Amino acid sequence: MNAIEIRGLKKSFRGLYALDGLDMTVPVGAIYGFIGENGSGKSTTEKLLCGHLVPDSGKMKLFGKSYKDAAIRYRVGALIENTGCFPNSSIYQNLMMQAINLTLDNPNEEIQRVLKIVRMEDEAKLKFKKCSLGMKQRIGIAMALLGDPALLILDEPINGLDTDGMRIMREILLDITQNCGCTVLISSHILGELEKIATHYGIIRQGKMVQELTAAEMEGRCRMFTSIKADDMQTAFLTLRQKYDNVKAEEGYVRVYDVNDTEGIVDTLMKSGCIPGEVTKNRIGLEEYYIDLMSKKGA
Amino acid sequence: METRLEPKFERLSVSRRLRGMLGVDFYRLFHTPMFYIFLAIAAIIPAMVLSTGGQDGGAALYTNTWNIIAADTPLYVVRDIGDYANMNMVFIFGGIMVSIFIGHDYRSGYVKQLFTTHAKKRDYMMSKSIVCAFAMACMCGTYLLGGAFAGILTGASMRVNFGSLLVAILGKMVMSLGWASLYTFLNVLFRRHFGISIASSFFLGTGIPIIGAAAILGNNSALNVFLYGSSVNACLSSNLVTLGTCVVVSIAWAIIYNLLGSAVLARSDVY
Repeated sequence: MNAIEIRGLKKSFRGLYALDGLDMTVPVGAIYGFIGENGSGKSTTEKLLCGHLVPDSGKMKLFGKSYKDAAIRYRVGALIENTGCFPNSSIYQNLMMQAINLTLDNPNEEIQRVLKIVRMEDEAKLKFKKCSLGMKQRIGIAMALLGDPALLILDEPINGLDTDGMRIMREILLDITQNCGCTVLISSHILGELEKIATHYGIIRQGKMVQELTAAEMEGRCRMFTSIKADDMQTAFLTLRQKYDNVKAEEGYVRVYDVNDTEGIVDTLMKSGCIPGEVTKNRIGLEEYYIDLMSKKGA
Repeated sequence: METRLEPKFERLSVSRRLRGMLGVDFYRLFHTPMFYIFLAIAAIIPAMVLSTGGQDGGAALYTNTWNIIAADTPLYVVRDIGDYANMNMVFIFGGIMVSIFIGHDYRSGYVKQLFTTHAKKRDYMMSKSIVCAFAMACMCGTYLLGGAFAGILTGASMRVNFGSLLVAILGKMVMSLGWASLYTFLNVLFRRHFGISIASSFFLGTGIPIIGAAAILGNNSALNVFLYGSSVNACLSSNLVTLGTCVVVSIAWAIIYNLLGSAVLARSDVY
């Protein structure tokens, strides 16, 4: 069973299609990194899944049932665009409202539990409007976590956070998926952060799914390479090409792809009398992969 | 790949869904200063009307305290302000209160939390109608207290058929449900335009369309099928039939507006 299954989803605003036949599959238990440019349809998809928008056509299923199923939607937690908290109410009051909304048996205990997860046990009495952006994002996560959600839908939860805030958010997300077993759909432009937690990826462009792949598949496509600058670039290139399969001259460097043995590369050059001046080990990460994919699709 | 346990989903009863939505709306109502401000307004208005009437040598607006609650007979045709300025004014202020209450749902974005966890849009309509009806009924209560207190202070006559007065007050409280449903519907319909929501609620709350119709038809009891008509009908000569009419009319309009509001929400984007 998949946590989310979308087929041929279309949604237009004033005649312009935000989603144009989107297909999407999110397995149960996945942390699904939803990637795309601004206006590609990520937020629209998330709002549709939460029932905030009405689709023009297409099918959406959550855990094998219609997305309109009341029992399933009761266990969906979402943070979309903003937290949806009342600014003049305290953090505790906002969480209490959501706990009451979900008819939780022990609202106080549950509120303490989620506050502990987001590391805000001591700030419960603070008014929401006095919270920093990072705190607001964490409160949004806490709201979404109330009531043992089976699915979390998070729209840019790490936007505007500082490095420490991002680290905390990453730890929270990993913690809840490992300990609570829920599925997470997370959209973000900060691909470096997404890469650290996602188990699956979906890349969307102009309302259509360009590619869906697992983290392992992504890892396979993200290549390791060593860049070398030497006193004699011509000799360096020819020498390395004789020994390694994938050697290219790119951007003023000789690049050896898919070889992890940097010392061996340097040794080979030295033996041929070529002195390497600069040697750097690189990896094509999610960001480079995404940019590359987008440039190909956009061509 | 690691195998995960698939989540189990319990069946969710209508009562549990509604309990959740009502719970959060009542929590909000009791925790917002706006509710208490409107209760105070409802208490002050009859006191002001009673105590300012008759000043500067003019005729007193009411000689009987209980006319601040309702007219002696159903007066759909308004001859002077005295025919109009009674407990029905609660429904005008109630409209403004409902607009602010529901408008805040949208402005804060909290409505997203509600619609994420409540797939059935009718939960939202029902809950808002019931909670706002309760708030308006409370306003009727403070209006009564304010009016009675001002009556004692001004020395106006307190003579009344107690049974009819009780029926009139209960009738108006019952009508709160119909009015609250109307205002909830208007606020859902114009949810992206707070100004239009509040203006339309105010306009319909004044009963001007029914007063206009009464100007043509006269004091016609057929007007009781409308919210304003039945609200006027709950007067100091009311009996149990009047109360029964109020119950039927209020519930009928509440159902109509709840169905319309649910249909609007189900067929259009929430925000």
